[in-house]
Amino acid sequence: MSGVAFDVVPVNVLTGFLGSGKTTLLRRLLSSERSTETAVLINEFGEVGIDHLLVGEIAPDVVLLKSGCVCCSIRGELKDAFVRLFSRRQKGEVPPFRRVMVETTGLADPAPILGTLLADPVLRHHFKLGLVVTVVDCINADLQRQLHPVWTAQVAVADRLIVSKADLAGEERCARLRHSLAEMNPAAPIALAADIGSGDDLLLGAGLHGPAAQAEVKRWTNPPRRRALQVLGDEEGRDPRLRPEQNAHGDVTSFCLVFETQIDWTGFGLWLSMLLNRHGANILRVKGILNVTQASYPVAIHGVQHLVHPPVHLKEWPDDDRRSRIVFIVRGLDRQCIERSFAVFSGGL
Amino acid sequence: MCALCGLLGSESHWAASIKGGLPARQERLQRILQANRVLAFYRLRLDDFQGTSYLLTSPTGRAEIVSDLGQVWRVAEQMAGRPLDPLDPKLLAALEGRKR
Repeated sequence: MSGVAFDVVPVNVLTGFLGSGKTTLLRRLLSSERSTETAVLINEFGEVGIDHLLVGEIAPDVVLLKSGCVCCSIRGELKDAFVRLFSRRQKGEVPPFRRVMVETTGLADPAPILGTLLADPVLRHHFKLGLVVTVVDCINADLQRQLHPVWTAQVAVADRLIVSKADLAGEERCARLRHSLAEMNPAAPIALAADIGSGDDLLLGAGLHGPAAQAEVKRWTNPPRRRALQVLGDEEGRDPRLRPEQNAHGDVTSFCLVFETQIDWTGFGLWLSMLLNRHGANILRVKGILNVTQASYPVAIHGVQHLVHPPVHLKEWPDDDRRSRIVFIVRGLDRQCIERSFAVFSGGL
Repeated sequence: MCALCGLLGSESHWAASIKGGLPARQERLQRILQANRVLAFYRLRLDDFQGTSYLLTSPTGRAEIVSDLGQVWRVAEQMAGRPLDPLDPKLLAALEGRKR
Protein backbone atom coordinates (compact mmCIF):
# COMPACT_ATOMS: atom_id res chain seq x y z
CA MET A 1 0.00 0.00 0.00
CA SER A 2 1.48 3.28 -1.00
CA GLY A 3 1.32 6.37 1.10
CA VAL A 4 -0.13 4.84 4.24
CA ALA A 5 1.86 2.74 6.67
CA PHE A 6 0.61 -0.81 6.98
CA ASP A 7 -0.48 -0.37 10.55
CA VAL A 8 -2.25 2.95 10.05
CA VAL A 9 -5.57 2.33 8.34
CA PRO A 10 -7.58 5.19 6.85
CA VAL A 11 -11.20 5.39 7.96
CA ASN A 12 -13.77 6.87 5.60
CA VAL A 13 -17.07 7.91 7.11
CA LEU A 14 -20.25 7.64 5.05
CA THR A 15 -23.00 9.81 6.40
CA GLY A 16 -26.23 11.42 5.22
CA PHE A 17 -29.74 11.85 6.52
CA LEU A 18 -32.21 8.99 6.95
CA GLY A 19 -33.22 7.49 3.62
CA SER A 20 -30.68 9.42 1.61
CA GLY A 21 -29.25 6.28 0.01
CA LYS A 22 -26.09 5.59 1.99
CA THR A 23 -26.41 1.81 1.94
CA THR A 24 -27.27 1.77 -1.76
CA LEU A 25 -24.18 3.82 -2.49
CA LEU A 26 -22.04 1.61 -0.26
CA ARG A 27 -23.24 -1.53 -2.03
CA ARG A 28 -22.38 -0.08 -5.41
CA LEU A 29 -19.07 1.28 -4.22
CA LEU A 30 -17.90 -2.03 -2.81
CA SER A 31 -19.25 -4.34 -5.46
CA SER A 32 -15.91 -4.96 -7.13
CA GLU A 33 -13.03 -7.20 -6.24
CA ARG A 34 -11.44 -4.34 -4.42
CA SER A 35 -14.14 -4.59 -1.77
CA THR A 36 -12.04 -7.14 0.11
CA GLU A 37 -9.72 -4.24 0.82
CA THR A 38 -12.48 -2.53 2.79
CA ALA A 39 -13.91 -3.45 6.18
CA VAL A 40 -17.33 -1.99 6.90
CA LEU A 41 -18.82 -0.82 10.18
CA ILE A 42 -22.51 -0.12 10.02
CA ASN A 43 -24.49 1.69 12.66
CA GLU A 44 -28.25 1.60 12.65
CA PHE A 45 -30.78 3.27 14.86
CA GLY A 46 -33.57 0.83 15.48
CA GLU A 47 -34.50 -2.46 17.00
CA VAL A 48 -33.52 -4.60 14.06
CA GLY A 49 -30.47 -3.92 11.94
CA ILE A 50 -31.09 -4.43 8.26
CA ASP A 51 -28.38 -2.57 6.41
CA HIS A 52 -25.59 -4.97 7.34
CA LEU A 53 -27.50 -7.81 5.71
CA LEU A 54 -27.68 -5.85 2.48
CA VAL A 55 -24.01 -4.98 2.52
CA GLY A 56 -22.87 -8.28 3.98
CA GLU A 57 -23.49 -10.01 0.67
CA ILE A 58 -20.68 -8.08 -0.93
CA ALA A 59 -18.28 -7.20 1.88
CA PRO A 60 -17.52 -10.04 4.29
CA ASP A 61 -16.06 -7.94 7.09
CA VAL A 62 -19.23 -6.14 8.08
CA VAL A 63 -19.78 -5.34 11.71
CA LEU A 64 -23.14 -4.07 12.84
CA LEU A 65 -23.30 -1.57 15.68
CA LYS A 66 -26.93 -1.97 16.54
CA SER A 67 -27.51 -0.58 19.97
CA GLY A 68 -28.16 3.00 19.11
CA CYS A 69 -26.95 6.07 17.35
CA VAL A 70 -23.22 5.99 16.89
CA CYS A 71 -22.76 9.68 17.60
CA CYS A 72 -24.28 9.84 21.04
CA SER A 73 -24.68 6.51 22.75
CA ILE A 74 -22.25 3.89 21.58
CA ARG A 75 -18.91 5.50 21.08
CA GLY A 76 -17.50 2.85 23.40
CA GLU A 77 -18.91 0.18 21.12
CA LEU A 78 -17.48 1.96 18.10
CA LYS A 79 -14.06 1.94 19.71
CA ASP A 80 -14.38 -1.74 20.63
CA ALA A 81 -15.41 -2.58 17.06
CA PHE A 82 -12.36 -0.80 15.68
CA VAL A 83 -10.03 -2.50 18.13
CA ARG A 84 -11.58 -5.92 17.40
CA LEU A 85 -11.31 -5.40 13.66
CA PHE A 86 -7.68 -4.36 13.89
CA SER A 87 -6.84 -7.27 16.16
CA ARG A 88 -8.47 -9.79 13.78
CA ARG A 89 -6.61 -8.21 10.88
CA GLN A 90 -3.28 -8.53 12.61
CA LYS A 91 -4.00 -12.16 13.52
CA GLY A 92 -4.90 -12.93 9.92
CA GLU A 93 -8.51 -13.84 10.76
CA VAL A 94 -9.79 -11.35 8.21
CA PRO A 95 -8.13 -10.18 4.99
CA PRO A 96 -5.64 -7.35 5.52
CA PHE A 97 -8.10 -4.62 4.66
CA ARG A 98 -6.64 -1.29 3.62
CA ARG A 99 -9.45 0.94 4.74
CA VAL A 100 -12.52 0.99 6.94
CA MET A 101 -15.84 2.48 5.90
CA VAL A 102 -18.15 3.53 8.72
CA GLU A 103 -21.76 4.02 7.71
CA THR A 104 -23.45 6.16 10.32
CA THR A 105 -27.11 6.37 11.14
CA GLY A 106 -28.98 9.09 9.33
CA LEU A 107 -29.46 10.88 12.64
CA ALA A 108 -25.78 11.02 13.56
CA ASP A 109 -23.72 14.16 13.83
CA PRO A 110 -20.39 12.92 12.44
CA ALA A 111 -18.24 15.13 14.71
CA PRO A 112 -18.30 12.87 17.81
CA ILE A 113 -17.40 9.89 15.64
CA LEU A 114 -14.37 11.73 14.34
CA GLY A 115 -13.63 12.72 17.93
CA THR A 116 -13.53 9.07 18.97
CA LEU A 117 -10.94 8.35 16.30
CA LEU A 118 -8.85 11.34 17.31
CA ALA A 119 -9.03 11.19 21.06
CA ASP A 120 -8.76 7.50 21.82
CA PRO A 121 -5.13 6.67 22.59
CA VAL A 122 -5.36 3.22 20.98
CA LEU A 123 -7.35 4.14 17.89
CA ARG A 124 -5.36 7.20 16.97
CA HIS A 125 -2.22 5.14 16.50
CA HIS A 126 -3.85 2.59 14.20
CA PHE A 127 -6.51 4.55 12.33
CA LYS A 128 -6.52 7.91 10.58
CA LEU A 129 -9.53 9.75 9.30
CA GLY A 130 -9.65 9.54 5.51
CA LEU A 131 -12.67 11.13 3.87
CA VAL A 132 -16.11 12.06 5.09
CA VAL A 133 -18.66 11.33 2.37
CA THR A 134 -22.12 12.83 2.80
CA VAL A 135 -25.08 11.64 0.76
CA VAL A 136 -27.76 14.29 0.24
CA ASP A 137 -31.30 13.35 -0.74
CA CYS A 138 -32.24 15.69 -3.59
CA ILE A 139 -35.97 15.19 -3.06
CA ASN A 140 -36.11 15.93 0.66
CA ALA A 141 -33.10 18.20 1.15
CA ASP A 142 -35.07 21.43 1.70
CA LEU A 143 -37.31 19.89 4.33
CA GLN A 144 -34.48 18.09 6.12
CA ARG A 145 -32.40 21.25 6.21
CA GLN A 146 -35.25 23.19 7.81
CA LEU A 147 -36.25 20.56 10.36
CA HIS A 148 -33.01 18.82 11.30
CA PRO A 149 -29.87 20.77 12.28
CA VAL A 150 -27.86 17.55 11.94
CA TRP A 151 -28.39 17.79 8.16
CA THR A 152 -26.32 20.99 8.11
CA ALA A 153 -23.62 19.40 10.27
CA GLN A 154 -23.43 16.43 7.90
CA VAL A 155 -23.07 18.67 4.84
CA ALA A 156 -20.53 20.99 6.45
CA VAL A 157 -18.24 18.18 7.57
CA ALA A 158 -18.16 16.52 4.15
CA ASP A 159 -15.07 16.07 2.04
CA ARG A 160 -17.30 14.73 -0.74
CA LEU A 161 -20.97 15.51 -1.34
CA ILE A 162 -23.03 12.96 -3.21
CA VAL A 163 -26.46 13.96 -4.46
CA SER A 164 -28.90 11.06 -4.61
CA LYS A 165 -32.30 10.71 -6.30
CA ALA A 166 -31.38 13.42 -8.81
CA ASP A 167 -33.25 11.58 -11.55
CA LEU A 168 -36.47 11.76 -9.53
CA ALA A 169 -36.03 15.40 -8.58
CA GLY A 170 -35.50 16.86 -12.03
CA GLU A 171 -32.72 18.95 -13.45
CA GLU A 172 -33.74 22.33 -12.05
CA ARG A 173 -34.22 21.11 -8.50
CA CYS A 174 -30.95 19.23 -8.64
CA ALA A 175 -29.11 22.31 -9.96
CA ARG A 176 -30.56 24.40 -7.15
CA LEU A 177 -29.43 21.88 -4.53
CA ARG A 178 -25.94 21.71 -5.98
CA HIS A 179 -25.73 25.46 -5.90
CA SER A 180 -26.86 25.52 -2.30
CA LEU A 181 -24.39 22.78 -1.27
CA ALA A 182 -21.56 24.60 -3.05
CA GLU A 183 -22.41 27.76 -1.12
CA MET A 184 -22.36 25.92 2.19
CA ASN A 185 -19.30 23.76 1.62
CA PRO A 186 -17.29 25.11 -1.31
CA ALA A 187 -14.31 22.83 -0.68
CA ALA A 188 -16.16 19.55 -1.21
CA PRO A 189 -16.53 18.17 -4.74
CA ILE A 190 -20.16 17.41 -5.58
CA ALA A 191 -21.13 14.34 -7.61
CA LEU A 192 -24.32 12.56 -8.48
CA ALA A 193 -24.84 9.18 -6.83
CA ALA A 194 -25.73 7.72 -10.23
CA ASP A 195 -22.25 8.62 -11.50
CA ILE A 196 -20.44 6.77 -8.72
CA GLY A 197 -19.16 3.43 -9.84
CA SER A 198 -17.62 0.49 -8.10
CA GLY A 199 -14.28 1.21 -6.43
CA ASP A 200 -14.51 4.95 -7.12
CA ASP A 201 -11.32 6.57 -5.87
CA LEU A 202 -13.11 9.84 -5.30
CA LEU A 203 -14.84 8.19 -2.33
CA LEU A 204 -12.38 5.46 -1.38
CA GLY A 205 -9.26 7.66 -1.21
CA ALA A 206 -7.44 8.31 2.05
CA GLY A 207 -7.64 12.10 1.94
CA LEU A 208 -4.72 13.82 3.64
CA HIS A 209 -3.19 10.48 4.59
CA GLY A 210 -3.06 9.09 1.09
CA PRO A 211 -0.72 9.61 -1.83
CA ALA A 212 -2.96 12.37 -3.19
CA ALA A 213 -2.66 14.66 -0.16
CA GLN A 214 -1.52 17.63 -2.23
CA ALA A 215 -4.43 17.27 -4.62
CA GLU A 216 -6.79 17.05 -1.66
CA VAL A 217 -5.49 20.31 -0.19
CA LYS A 218 -5.71 21.93 -3.60
CA ARG A 219 -9.41 21.06 -3.66
CA TRP A 220 -9.86 22.91 -0.37
CA THR A 221 -8.25 26.11 -1.49
CA ASN A 222 -9.35 26.06 -5.14
CA PRO A 223 -12.89 24.99 -4.54
CA PRO A 224 -14.84 23.21 -7.24
CA ARG A 225 -17.70 25.60 -6.57
CA ARG A 226 -17.35 27.41 -9.86
CA ARG A 227 -17.29 24.10 -11.70
CA ALA A 228 -20.42 23.02 -9.90
CA LEU A 229 -22.14 26.27 -10.71
CA GLN A 230 -21.15 26.21 -14.33
CA VAL A 231 -23.54 23.36 -14.94
CA LEU A 232 -26.19 26.03 -14.65
CA GLY A 233 -24.82 27.71 -17.73
CA ASP A 234 -24.06 31.09 -16.14
CA GLU A 235 -20.51 32.39 -16.04
CA GLU A 236 -20.94 33.70 -12.54
CA GLY A 237 -23.10 30.82 -11.45
CA ARG A 238 -25.88 33.24 -10.62
CA ASP A 239 -28.81 31.62 -12.31
CA PRO A 240 -31.91 33.75 -11.76
CA ARG A 241 -33.81 30.60 -10.87
CA LEU A 242 -31.65 30.27 -7.78
CA ARG A 243 -32.11 33.66 -6.19
CA PRO A 244 -35.16 32.91 -4.07
CA GLU A 245 -33.28 30.03 -2.45
CA GLN A 246 -30.01 31.80 -1.80
CA ASN A 247 -30.52 32.25 1.92
CA ALA A 248 -32.10 28.88 2.43
CA HIS A 249 -29.22 27.62 4.55
CA GLY A 250 -29.85 30.28 7.17
CA ASP A 251 -26.82 31.78 8.83
CA VAL A 252 -24.34 29.11 7.70
CA THR A 253 -21.65 30.77 5.62
CA SER A 254 -18.29 29.77 4.24
CA PHE A 255 -15.28 31.89 3.45
CA CYS A 256 -11.57 31.59 2.83
CA LEU A 257 -9.03 33.64 4.74
CA VAL A 258 -5.83 34.37 2.86
CA PHE A 259 -2.68 35.50 4.64
CA GLU A 260 0.16 36.90 2.58
CA THR A 261 3.01 36.68 5.09
CA GLN A 262 4.33 33.67 6.96
CA ILE A 263 2.38 32.65 10.02
CA ASP A 264 3.77 32.20 13.50
CA TRP A 265 2.65 28.67 14.40
CA THR A 266 2.68 29.28 18.15
CA GLY A 267 0.37 32.28 17.83
CA PHE A 268 -1.82 30.42 15.37
CA GLY A 269 -2.12 27.40 17.68
CA LEU A 270 -3.12 29.61 20.59
CA TRP A 271 -5.64 31.44 18.42
CA LEU A 272 -7.36 28.41 16.89
CA SER A 273 -7.48 26.47 20.18
CA MET A 274 -8.97 29.54 21.91
CA LEU A 275 -11.42 30.16 19.06
CA LEU A 276 -12.63 26.56 19.03
CA ASN A 277 -12.95 26.50 22.80
CA ARG A 278 -15.33 29.48 22.68
CA HIS A 279 -17.03 29.10 19.29
CA GLY A 280 -16.40 25.45 18.36
CA ALA A 281 -20.11 24.60 18.21
CA ASN A 282 -20.55 27.23 15.48
CA ILE A 283 -17.42 26.42 13.52
CA LEU A 284 -18.71 23.52 11.49
CA ARG A 285 -15.52 23.03 9.53
CA VAL A 286 -12.09 24.60 9.27
CA LYS A 287 -9.36 23.44 6.95
CA GLY A 288 -6.49 24.93 5.09
CA ILE A 289 -2.84 25.11 4.23
CA LEU A 290 -0.37 27.24 6.15
CA ASN A 291 3.01 28.74 5.38
CA VAL A 292 4.52 28.81 8.87
CA THR A 293 7.75 30.43 9.99
CA GLN A 294 8.72 27.34 11.97
CA ALA A 295 8.74 24.93 9.02
CA SER A 296 10.06 24.86 5.49
CA TYR A 297 7.17 22.68 4.31
CA PRO A 298 3.48 23.51 4.06
CA VAL A 299 1.27 22.43 6.94
CA ALA A 300 -2.29 21.23 6.33
CA ILE A 301 -4.80 21.62 9.14
CA HIS A 302 -8.38 20.45 9.38
CA GLY A 303 -10.91 20.45 12.14
CA VAL A 304 -14.57 19.83 12.84
CA GLN A 305 -16.33 21.84 15.55
CA HIS A 306 -14.18 21.51 18.72
CA LEU A 307 -11.84 18.95 17.16
CA VAL A 308 -8.64 19.55 15.25
CA HIS A 309 -6.83 16.70 13.56
CA PRO A 310 -3.07 16.51 14.01
CA PRO A 311 -1.55 18.86 11.41
CA VAL A 312 -0.14 17.08 8.37
CA HIS A 313 3.21 18.04 6.88
CA LEU A 314 2.97 18.11 3.10
CA LYS A 315 6.07 17.30 1.09
CA GLU A 316 5.42 20.13 -1.33
CA TRP A 317 2.97 22.90 -2.13
CA PRO A 318 -0.02 21.81 -4.23
CA ASP A 319 0.49 24.80 -6.57
CA ASP A 320 2.58 27.94 -7.03
CA ASP A 321 0.59 29.89 -4.47
CA ARG A 322 2.61 30.14 -1.23
CA ARG A 323 0.04 32.07 0.74
CA SER A 324 -1.67 30.59 3.77
CA ARG A 325 -5.31 29.85 3.06
CA ILE A 326 -7.93 28.68 5.54
CA VAL A 327 -11.49 27.74 4.66
CA PHE A 328 -14.14 28.23 7.34
CA ILE A 329 -17.73 27.01 7.38
CA VAL A 330 -19.41 28.81 10.26
CA ARG A 331 -22.81 29.40 11.72
CA GLY A 332 -23.59 32.97 12.78
CA LEU A 333 -20.00 34.19 13.06
CA ASP A 334 -18.76 37.31 11.34
CA ARG A 335 -16.00 36.93 8.78
CA GLN A 336 -14.43 40.32 9.51
CA CYS A 337 -14.18 39.55 13.24
CA ILE A 338 -12.44 36.23 12.57
CA GLU A 339 -10.14 37.83 9.99
CA ARG A 340 -9.04 40.59 12.33
CA SER A 341 -8.52 38.20 15.21
CA PHE A 342 -6.55 35.82 12.98
CA ALA A 343 -4.28 38.66 11.84
CA VAL A 344 -3.56 39.78 15.41
CA PHE A 345 -2.71 36.31 16.72
CA SER A 346 -0.98 34.74 13.74
CA GLY A 347 1.48 37.59 13.34
CA GLY A 348 3.00 36.57 16.68
CA LEU A 349 1.89 37.91 20.05
CA MET B 1 12.54 11.37 28.51
CA CYS B 2 14.71 13.71 26.52
CA ALA B 3 18.05 13.72 28.33
CA LEU B 4 18.88 17.23 27.21
CA CYS B 5 15.70 19.09 28.05
CA GLY B 6 14.21 16.80 30.71
CA LEU B 7 10.79 16.57 29.04
CA LEU B 8 8.81 13.40 29.59
CA GLY B 9 7.38 12.65 26.17
CA SER B 10 5.68 15.53 24.42
CA GLU B 11 2.36 17.27 24.65
CA SER B 12 -0.27 15.48 22.58
CA HIS B 13 -2.26 18.61 21.75
CA TRP B 14 -2.27 19.37 18.02
CA ALA B 15 -0.87 22.88 18.55
CA ALA B 16 2.31 21.40 20.00
CA SER B 17 2.89 19.05 17.10
CA ILE B 18 4.76 21.37 14.72
CA LYS B 19 8.40 21.49 15.71
CA GLY B 20 10.46 24.54 14.86
CA GLY B 21 14.18 24.88 15.25
CA LEU B 22 14.06 25.34 19.01
CA PRO B 23 14.59 22.61 21.62
CA ALA B 24 11.32 21.20 22.97
CA ARG B 25 11.54 22.98 26.32
CA GLN B 26 12.21 26.33 24.70
CA GLU B 27 9.28 25.85 22.36
CA ARG B 28 7.10 25.08 25.35
CA LEU B 29 8.28 28.21 27.14
CA GLN B 30 7.67 30.25 24.01
CA ARG B 31 4.11 28.94 23.92
CA ILE B 32 3.62 29.84 27.56
CA LEU B 33 5.07 33.32 26.98
CA GLN B 34 2.60 34.03 24.17
CA ALA B 35 -0.34 32.49 26.06
CA ASN B 36 0.44 34.79 28.98
CA ARG B 37 0.10 37.84 26.74
CA VAL B 38 -3.50 36.78 26.14
CA LEU B 39 -4.19 35.57 29.68
CA ALA B 40 -2.84 38.81 31.19
CA PHE B 41 -5.91 40.55 29.77
CA TYR B 42 -7.98 38.36 32.09
CA ARG B 43 -5.49 38.75 35.00
CA LEU B 44 -4.48 35.10 34.78
CA ARG B 45 -1.04 33.56 34.52
CA LEU B 46 0.28 30.34 33.00
CA ASP B 47 3.47 28.57 34.09
CA ASP B 48 5.21 25.39 33.14
CA PHE B 49 4.76 22.50 35.57
CA GLN B 50 7.53 19.91 35.39
CA GLY B 51 7.64 20.09 31.62
CA THR B 52 4.52 17.91 31.43
CA SER B 53 1.61 20.14 32.49
CA TYR B 54 0.72 23.76 32.94
CA LEU B 55 -0.10 25.66 36.12
CA LEU B 56 -2.81 28.26 35.73
CA THR B 57 -3.14 30.83 38.53
CA SER B 58 -5.51 33.68 39.28
CA PRO B 59 -4.78 36.92 41.17
CA THR B 60 -6.72 35.57 44.16
CA GLY B 61 -4.31 32.68 44.51
CA ARG B 62 -6.46 30.00 42.93
CA ALA B 63 -4.29 27.53 41.03
CA GLU B 64 -5.06 24.58 38.78
CA ILE B 65 -2.91 22.15 36.87
CA VAL B 66 -3.99 21.57 33.28
CA SER B 67 -2.59 19.01 30.90
CA ASP B 68 -2.69 20.72 27.53
CA LEU B 69 -3.52 23.87 25.64
CA GLY B 70 -7.07 22.78 24.91
CA GLN B 71 -7.82 22.63 28.62
CA VAL B 72 -6.07 25.92 29.41
CA TRP B 73 -8.83 28.01 27.84
CA ARG B 74 -11.64 26.02 29.42
CA VAL B 75 -10.18 26.20 32.92
CA ALA B 76 -9.19 29.84 32.40
CA GLU B 77 -12.82 30.70 31.63
CA GLN B 78 -13.89 29.09 34.90
CA MET B 79 -11.23 30.98 36.84
CA ALA B 80 -11.92 34.32 35.14
CA GLY B 81 -15.68 33.86 35.48
CA ARG B 82 -16.23 35.08 31.94
CA PRO B 83 -15.71 33.85 28.39
CA LEU B 84 -12.27 34.10 26.85
CA ASP B 85 -13.19 35.17 23.36
CA PRO B 86 -10.47 35.72 20.74
CA LEU B 87 -13.00 37.73 18.72
CA ASP B 88 -13.51 40.23 21.57
CA PRO B 89 -12.56 43.68 20.13
CA LYS B 90 -11.25 44.80 23.54
CA LEU B 91 -8.87 41.86 23.75
CA LEU B 92 -7.68 42.43 20.18
CA ALA B 93 -7.15 46.13 20.82
CA ALA B 94 -5.12 45.29 23.94
CA LEU B 95 -2.96 42.81 22.01
CA GLU B 96 -2.43 45.27 19.15
CA GLY B 97 -1.55 47.99 21.64
CA ARG B 98 1.04 45.75 23.25
CA LYS B 99 2.73 45.09 19.90
CA ARG B 100 3.19 48.80 19.12
